[in-house]
Amino acid sequence: MLVGVARMHLAKRSPTLGLLVGLIITLAAVVAYSAYITWQIKGLRQMQSGLIDRNRKDSLQLLRIQNDLNLLAVAMRDMIDNDEPYPLTAWSAQFQRIRTDLDDAMRLEAALAPMSRTREQSAELSSSLAQFWNAADRVFALADEGNQKEAREQIQLSLQARQAALGTTVSRLLVQNSENESEAAQRIVQIYDRVQLQVYLFLGATLIAILLTGFSMIRWNRRLFAQISELSKRRSELAQKLIATQESTLRYISRELHDEFGQILTAIGSMIGRAGMHAPEGSPLRGELQEVREIAQETLDRVRSLSQALHPVMLDEAGILATIDWYLPTMERQSGIAISYEKQGMPFEVSGTAAVHIYRVLQESLNNVARHAHAKQAWVRLQFLSATLELEVEDHGVGFGTKPAKQGIGLVAMRERAELLGAQIVFSTPVEGGTRIHLSVPRASLEPGEKEKD
Amino acid sequence: MNRRSFLRGAACAVSLSRVSRLRAFDAQGSTAASPGFRFSDVTSAAGISFQHNSGAYGGKLLPETLGSGCAFLDYDRDGWQDILLINGMDWPGHKRQRSTLRLYHNNRNGTFTDVTSRAGLDLEMYGMGVAVGDYDNDGFPDILITCVGQNRLFHNTGKGRFVDVTNASGLGRHLAFSTSALWFDYDRDGFLDLFVCNYVKWSPERDVFCSLDGKHKSYCTPEAYRGETCWLFHNRGNGTFEDVTASSGIFDSSSKSLGVAMLDNDGDGWIDILVANDTQPNKLYRNQRNGTFKDAAVEAGLAFSTEGRARAGMGVDVADFTNSGHLGAAITNFDNEMIGLYDFDGKNYADIASQAGVGLPSKNTLGFGCIFLDANLDGWLDLAVANGHIDETVRNIRGNVGYAQPPQLFLNNGNRGFHDVAAELDAGFDHPKVGRGLAYADFDRDGDLDLLLTTNNGPAYLYRNDQLAENRSIRFRLLGTKSNRDAIGATVRIVAGGMKQSRMLKSGSSYLSQSELPVTFGLGKMDRVASAVIQWPSGRIEEGKNLAAGCSYECVEGKGISPQDGF
Repeated sequence: MLVGVARMHLAKRSPTLGLLVGLIITLAAVVAYSAYITWQIKGLRQMQSGLIDRNRKDSLQLLRIQNDLNLLAVAMRDMIDNDEPYPLTAWSAQFQRIRTDLDDAMRLEAALAPMSRTREQSAELSSSLAQFWNAADRVFALADEGNQKEAREQIQLSLQARQAALGTTVSRLLVQNSENESEAAQRIVQIYDRVQLQVYLFLGATLIAILLTGFSMIRWNRRLFAQISELSKRRSELAQKLIATQESTLRYISRELHDEFGQILTAIGSMIGRAGMHAPEGSPLRGELQEVREIAQETLDRVRSLSQALHPVMLDEAGILATIDWYLPTMERQSGIAISYEKQGMPFEVSGTAAVHIYRVLQESLNNVARHAHAKQAWVRLQFLSATLELEVEDHGVGFGTKPAKQGIGLVAMRERAELLGAQIVFSTPVEGGTRIHLSVPRASLEPGEKEKD
Repeated sequence: MNRRSFLRGAACAVSLSRVSRLRAFDAQGSTAASPGFRFSDVTSAAGISFQHNSGAYGGKLLPETLGSGCAFLDYDRDGWQDILLINGMDWPGHKRQRSTLRLYHNNRNGTFTDVTSRAGLDLEMYGMGVAVGDYDNDGFPDILITCVGQNRLFHNTGKGRFVDVTNASGLGRHLAFSTSALWFDYDRDGFLDLFVCNYVKWSPERDVFCSLDGKHKSYCTPEAYRGETCWLFHNRGNGTFEDVTASSGIFDSSSKSLGVAMLDNDGDGWIDILVANDTQPNKLYRNQRNGTFKDAAVEAGLAFSTEGRARAGMGVDVADFTNSGHLGAAITNFDNEMIGLYDFDGKNYADIASQAGVGLPSKNTLGFGCIFLDANLDGWLDLAVANGHIDETVRNIRGNVGYAQPPQLFLNNGNRGFHDVAAELDAGFDHPKVGRGLAYADFDRDGDLDLLLTTNNGPAYLYRNDQLAENRSIRFRLLGTKSNRDAIGATVRIVAGGMKQSRMLKSGSSYLSQSELPVTFGLGKMDRVASAVIQWPSGRIEEGKNLAAGCSYECVEGKGISPQDGF
């Protein structure tokens, strides 16, 4: 009834709903934040690849163009200086090499040109370059015809001016690219600032959610543990009361059987004996009375045996050692199992209640051997140590391994009795197989005068 | 095979067994960590006593930092490689000593005799580099000395003397700051033409004042000067040359060239040229087979570093270091730039220096001379590099970079991987030096390749290669008849034990230097070569089969391959 009330109490105050709500809010926050960050990163990536990378690649091509224009300028300077022993046509291969590279750079640059580039700007660059090469072709044509002087004049008048104009155009485009890049960098900084703020907000909210959930969990855990502890205590008390009631009942029945039914049967036997003395010797009546007397005696023996089994009176009268000495041969006879009994140490007095529990553990252990172990032999070891009493029952039968899942009521009862004694009980498997049950009872629990459990 | 060839082949085998015994004896003294050979410093023992004079007097003139080169050549055609060391001189107005180039005659016993005066080379000039080639096909190698000022061409009379034919040959009146040069027959007319690298437009009068602290003069970087075109001289076949720089498409006034190597980049049998430029894009002049060249370095992936930057190219060599039949390249660069090691896939070059284990070890070195050679004769070309900075005070600026730097020898593991074993070669090979020129030859004719290394304003070093692992080799000495007599530009391909190797017989390469013309193949433990195919510059192809290792073979164009007695 108490357990039922506790359960109802727990069901009423379950934290599941609150935790679920918290979890959903947290997940929603994470999803929302992830979506926001993904959106921002996408924007950054677009800006990076679509604008900055493209801008940078375009600037590289513009630099390549500028470098080619500088090479042309240097070559033209050498051509005008006229300190080489070669005609101007010697430079045509050098010009051609630069032209090939310049054409390639112009093609790539046109594909990479930023959106901000106007059509007029692109057209201006292409047409300036075309005009330059036309002028260069005219210069080399003049040089080829032997007009070296005129060709040099053309370089100075036309070619160098066009090269300078081209250089200015390219420089202007580079500046424009640089401005675009600065602008994009500014926008990126803004995005980073926004993201940073969002990160702080998200972290703050997450921290608060974690703290609230954590405190809630701790509170509920504490309540649960307190309830579990209470339940455990009540269950233990219940088990102890059950065991005490059982022992008391068994002892009562045992005494009734021994005292009442024993005396009655003894009386019946005596009375039948005396009645038989009145019957003529050799008469059928005398024989029948004798037979009834024997039945009464046999019943008396069985009643006494049952009484002993339910609660050995010997335990109360002669103590645990004598009871074990009596019980083990009886068990051997009843079960057909050979029991080796070892006893060590200086025996000390064991209180009646403790003796009952120790005896019951021994009895249950050997019953398990007889019923489940399929063993032919068992070992019982009893050690009186200075601080404890050690009882060990061992068999080399099938052990727990073959029936692992289900734990019998006997084992539960053994644990409860151990708990009542403040003892430790360990179930283990010996090297040879089978089962070993080890009960270690503190001496303090065995002292007479120790609180009688029943 | 005639009787003479057979007897020579037998002699070859005897020689091989003798060498093996000697190597076995040497191997007993080797250590477990030995890379299978060692370089012994035999400079003094060989009688080489040379001191380079850069002319430095405190004026910090640009050419002082760059010289000078060296060459192995067999000037008297006795079959033993002689040594030529190039020298600078004092600057006008600062005369302190007389310094000339030095020619050392090989005495065939491991020693050399200074024959400079006897050979008519006891001349002062501000020499930089050297290219050796028999430009008149008279059988005796002639010498071009590149100089600051006027380059000098010395004709070999065949009687142990050289005659200066600079002006008579038409090479006169070409003043520049020349560096590396090479002889090659670009038009396949059977006569060697001449390619000369020029660095920058510099002369004492045009010297620019550069300073690190604003007060004291320091050496300028090449950016301070205008570039200078390389030159191509066509050999008319009558002992004179014609400047075809402009008409051939070689002209490029922006180039600042220091190293040059020849190769047949597209395998068409027409020699192409790879030029290492300092702070300018490298050039790959592809032979158009019509007397002109076209620069294809950018498309090929040789012009710039992988970051797209023009590095400070110094020395260059080209060889089939992957044994794939394709010629890869190595270009030494400034410190903090790493060596460029280019693998060629038949179409493009890829710089594999970092993956190959050459990049990082060369990060803090300034490389000049570089040569591919099979130092341990295992059949895979290794890479030797001469290092040394140009700035004496570099350690004050970059603590981990020294002025004198150890040479490096990167052993090839056969899987596009290299590791530097210089420190394991004994004899102080890895002692820091201000290295510049680097060349190889088998001067002692024991079948392995020895090294000659020059230093700036310092001595030259001769390192004898002593094999400890008993690896074998085979060597080929080629004589052209229809092709140029030196057979420069010929390619020898061998197959031995399933391994294919190829070598081009080349002039130039490295930095300001020239190695011997005979080609050497390492064979590991193999004692025979299944086949050797020679592709002559004329286009002719000849093949020899089942050749014994352990000796040289003489190959005369059109007359087959015949074994020699030993190496």
